[in-house]
Amino acid sequence: MKRFIIKYIMYNCKEATLQMAKKEEGKLSFMEKMKLFLHTSMCSFCKKFEKQTNQIARESKHIHAEEKMSVTAKNRIIKLIDEHSF
Amino acid sequence: MCTDVHGSIALHFYLKKLTGLTGLKPIPRYILYIYSSNDPLTMEKQAIKANPEKWFELYGTLLYQYALPRVKDSEIAEDLVQDTFLSALKGLNGFKGEASEKSWLFTILKNKIIDFYRKKAKEQSVISMPDLRSSENDWFDKEGNWAENRMPKDWDASDNLTERRELQKIINWCKDHLKTLQQSVFTLKYMEDLESAEICKVLNISSSNYWVLLHRIRLQMRDCVEKYWLKN
Repeated sequence: MKRFIIKYIMYNCKEATLQMAKKEEGKLSFMEKMKLFLHTSMCSFCKKFEKQTNQIARESKHIHAEEKMSVTAKNRIIKLIDEHSF
Repeated sequence: MCTDVHGSIALHFYLKKLTGLTGLKPIPRYILYIYSSNDPLTMEKQAIKANPEKWFELYGTLLYQYALPRVKDSEIAEDLVQDTFLSALKGLNGFKGEASEKSWLFTILKNKIIDFYRKKAKEQSVISMPDLRSSENDWFDKEGNWAENRMPKDWDASDNLTERRELQKIINWCKDHLKTLQQSVFTLKYMEDLESAEICKVLNISSSNYWVLLHRIRLQMRDCVEKYWLKN
């Protein structure tokens, strides 16, 4: 019985990390949010996981390359723009 | 009605005097501008007229540097930039200067990137769907707790620009070493900021598969970034 109650109100780490992905898109119900909060407030690993994953998500949007386009492609595109604009 | 702002203000006072209403509210500025000939909004619109001759010089490199990590292949990135410019030239009449030229071009490019993934998903069909049944078992034990060698360690990238750039490079490297379908999901979700429903449609995967896939991607990516971050 005790085991059952614990299972009902607590996520394990596997479930918690899955729910975090859904939380990102606001797809959690109030109860699920509370359960997740309860888990992360007690589990330092999942807390770290959430923080680090959020950081990865945040920085991913800003990723851009440093190298420039090859000269052949550049010339080709400039020529095409010239031909197509009037 | 009124041809300029001053005219309409004069009209406003005339009405006030005529009706004897003291509580007449002043006419809002934006309404005045609708009637005035030197409307600052249209003046601004004329200033941001599209200027294709300068496009490459201004945005070519920016667009390319944005596209490259998102499609991973320099030739494809070049083609996407080229297609972006050509589409933009075709739709030049549709450009009303409501958004800046730059964000307009970027919107076109982003659509091209999504199209690229849609096409790619069609070509690869269902075969590339990895086996998802046992996928999280190497991360968690039977009770669903973290496996001992997979527990997240402490690391943190601060807010300064060099560390962020470093982190972005590592993320990109890790992303490039994911499996193909996972790469597509990661790019669309985290680099292009699409919603789950849209990603499922583009990549033609079911919603339940998507969440399992995303869970695994997040586990893998965090683990990979951690390894390389701590190495340096």
